[in-house]
Amino acid sequence: MSTGTALLAIAVVILATVLIAVHGLRLSRTTGDFYVASRTVRPWWNASAIGGEYLSAASFLGIAGLIVVSGQDALWFPIGYTAGYLMLLLFVAAPLRRSGAYTLPDFAQIRLNSRIARLVTSILVVVVGWLYIVPQLHGASLTLAITTGLPGWLGAGMVMAVVCLTVVAGGMRSITFVQAFQFWLKLGALAVPTVFLLLQLGITGRSATGNGLAFDLPQEALGQSGIYSTISLIVALLFGTLGLPHVLVRFYTNPDGASARRTTAIVLGLLSVFYLFPTVLGVLGRVYLPELAQNGNADATVLLLPSRVVGGTAGNLLTALVIGGAFAAFMSTTSGLVVSLAGVMSQDLFGGTVRGFRYSAVLASAVPLLLALGTSTLALAGAIGSVFAFTASTICPLLLLGIWWRGLTAAGAVAGMLAGALGCAGAMLVASALPGLSGLALGLATQPAAWTVPLAFVVTIVVSLATRGLAPGATSTVMTRLHAPERGSAAPRAARP
Amino acid sequence: MSGEGADGPVDHPAVPVRVRVTAPEGAPLSVTARRAGHDPAAEFYVRSLIRSQLRLSLSVALGFLLLLLCLAVMVAVWPQIHAIRILTIPLPWIVLGIGVYPIILLGAFLYNRASARYEARYRDVTGE
Repeated sequence: MSTGTALLAIAVVILATVLIAVHGLRLSRTTGDFYVASRTVRPWWNASAIGGEYLSAASFLGIAGLIVVSGQDALWFPIGYTAGYLMLLLFVAAPLRRSGAYTLPDFAQIRLNSRIARLVTSILVVVVGWLYIVPQLHGASLTLAITTGLPGWLGAGMVMAVVCLTVVAGGMRSITFVQAFQFWLKLGALAVPTVFLLLQLGITGRSATGNGLAFDLPQEALGQSGIYSTISLIVALLFGTLGLPHVLVRFYTNPDGASARRTTAIVLGLLSVFYLFPTVLGVLGRVYLPELAQNGNADATVLLLPSRVVGGTAGNLLTALVIGGAFAAFMSTTSGLVVSLAGVMSQDLFGGTVRGFRYSAVLASAVPLLLALGTSTLALAGAIGSVFAFTASTICPLLLLGIWWRGLTAAGAVAGMLAGALGCAGAMLVASALPGLSGLALGLATQPAAWTVPLAFVVTIVVSLATRGLAPGATSTVMTRLHAPERGSAAPRAARP
Repeated sequence: MSGEGADGPVDHPAVPVRVRVTAPEGAPLSVTARRAGHDPAAEFYVRSLIRSQLRLSLSVALGFLLLLLCLAVMVAVWPQIHAIRILTIPLPWIVLGIGVYPIILLGAFLYNRASARYEARYRDVTGE
């Protein structure tokens, strides 16, 4: 892989991002236009846009890398990333859309009518967002370092600078079309190389699975505590998706609750198709790049496979395509998060002014950049898994109990979120401070979701029951708004005379 | 700012004024009880709608979680299953890498249908 081709691919993606942002500035719209336009977005577009924002470095690079290292255990990650949307569909999609909340703090305020609950939710959303951006930047560092040999921090700095500038300038957002396009770009950037590699192997008579060798090579277990780790990981991924700030905003663009459900079902279909490709590439990586499992660069599997298997000009072109897709993944997820975070921060900390939004955007970019530069690259899929555990222990109880249980009080929600946050953060600190842990103790510390999520639910429920007298007065009205189908908006096919 | 230009199609300047989009207009963030005199019948219908939706969601979710748990346990306690191979691929890889996804989609499809049916029934009884 020549450095020039790699840099060219990165430059094209960055240029396209900036151009779209500049174009978006000229397409400035009024609030009214925005809402009218939002209502006409078809579920297919909307679902593609959600996929575009959701598929991050962890999905694009991380899954194949984890399959190379951990083999079969890694297959739980794409299952969890996808099935999280099933939980979103079952418990959150339609009611959240009907609540009229634009952000999670909005939801807390609507449901609980409490400033404190809103503030705590805002702070947690910001923390989740920061933690989620860090692995994207690690992915950018890794990609740049592996494919060009340039220092990695340059990749992280480049992504963050472009995202921050476009967001501060006011572009790159609310453009469903752009995010939808990102999904198909990422899908293509993995699907085309996968199909090409399989064809090439078939033509040259090599086995894609190394005659089954791929499945017999040593597999490093995901956690040392066996099935507990697997279950805890599934809990984190299934219930962490419910609280991702940049994804929830997208649900507002659905016209009503029923179409929010349709959109989510389509997202499930898109993700199911997408994850097929990193999985296949991971299996190929186990055969053709086995050395990556040892040298700690497994996340580069997707980037290195084309030149290893095909080589020559074709290999170079495929690698360029993968690099472009990878940078699209870092930038779209990062910019979605920075915009959500800046929105939340400016509203709750800076009084909602435009200047406040700009300060917030800088703050939302600078903190994760410093975190990313100050920490070493972990396995991408695993790092994202920890963020999901944190979200599942904090935001998930608020959403689920807020939507389905009348007894939730502001005090209960705040207590539950704090208990989940402290439990989860404490466990991860213990895990990093005490490297000597082993067995179940290590599992409890590194994969805390299986106990912190129930803990957060129990604390929320107990404190809510203890403060029953303080339940918000309008609960009945809010519950009706969340669950009753919209008036006069029956879907066309269900229209009655 | 005149305070009017933003919300009416009165006159369109060449470049529309850019405004920050915040919380939705139609949905006030603080909800006050709409009707002072509470309608017990309406309340009853909403409560039974919520109950049936929750029952539906919980049964789909628990069914799916149970399935995942069975798969996790099966893979953990029965290593011989790896010997079963189709096109050199062991059965657990096929089930976890491909087989789970159609089940997720089927669950989503059936849930959507049932959930829409509950809402249609609610519309019928409340006459909305």
